Amino acid sequence: MNIHINGQAFTIEHEASINVTAALKLHFITAQQSTFAVALNGDFVSKADYDTTRVHNGDSLDVLLPIQGG
Amino acid sequence: MSLTIYGEQLSSRLLIGSALYPSPQVMKQAILASESQVVTLSLKRQNPNEQAGQQIWQYLQEIVKQTKGYLLPNTAGCKTAKEAVTLAKMSREIFQTDWLKLEVIGDDYNLQPDPIELLNATEQLIAEGFKVLPYCTDDLVLCQRLYDLGCQVIMPWASPIGTGKGLMNPYNLETIRLRLPEATLILDAGIGKPSDACLAMEMGYDGVLLNSAVALADNPVMMAKAFAQALKAGEQGYVAGVMEQRQTAHPSTPTLDTPFWHQN
Repeated sequence: MNIHINGQAFTIEHEASINVTAALKLHFITAQQSTFAVALNGDFVSKADYDTTRVHNGDSLDVLLPIQGG
Repeated sequence: MSLTIYGEQLSSRLLIGSALYPSPQVMKQAILASESQVVTLSLKRQNPNEQAGQQIWQYLQEIVKQTKGYLLPNTAGCKTAKEAVTLAKMSREIFQTDWLKLEVIGDDYNLQPDPIELLNATEQLIAEGFKVLPYCTDDLVLCQRLYDLGCQVIMPWASPIGTGKGLMNPYNLETIRLRLPEATLILDAGIGKPSDACLAMEMGYDGVLLNSAVALADNPVMMAKAFAQALKAGEQGYVAGVMEQRQTAHPSTPTLDTPFWHQN
């Protein structure tokens, strides 16, 4: 299956879906890094739900971090 | 005299942004010089392993600790209520605050807020427990609707973001103040000069939120100090009670028995 993380394409072989925790590892992100938050296809996924939320073919994850803002 | 935002007492009436400074060091110095206890920030796509974003985040945490202040995440870049609600929830998880500077932009040319999406987002976010500080145009009815939805703080623009044009429509802003006496009104966006901030405070506004005016100054730290003083001057002017304008001249020096005085 193919997914996107922050616009970058990833291909995962032999899986119909993976959980958010596994998807983040593709981007070298572990849940222990506290200063980020995740949206799946535009919907917020809380940290508590990373293990139970499934990412399917065609899905997009956004991983956001703090930046300066006005 | 302090500013109250959703029950929190703040010693400064200035809210300040963290973007566009020449360096993180100057950002920190300028924010501290401004005496502000509320710093705005945002979220964007990044990999947590990249160091640049982490450095800014560390600086902002230091500032908040040093000022005993508050972070005010914004929803910059959102164009729909759905996007803003998602971003708000992501911000709350990261920053552990219910405060939210709600921005929902309806036009890319002047970054004008979309009033319909703004109201939709506000309603949803208040239902989710957020304490919403909506960035909006200087439309009285829109401000009234936001207040009716439960926003204790309303933030009409002075002029479009980043223009530095100051108060485009003083009449509109004065009318909002007059008609919403119980709302906490913070003038947000378009401030260019310390005198703009002073004018807002003289109108009875409760505070000012700005970023570019300090960050893009030749000397951001000095400009931050100037804004701190301007807000205090404007507030004291408002509290002291500005004299009424008069149509004709009145001598301030008594004329009776002045040298060469003539009775006409």
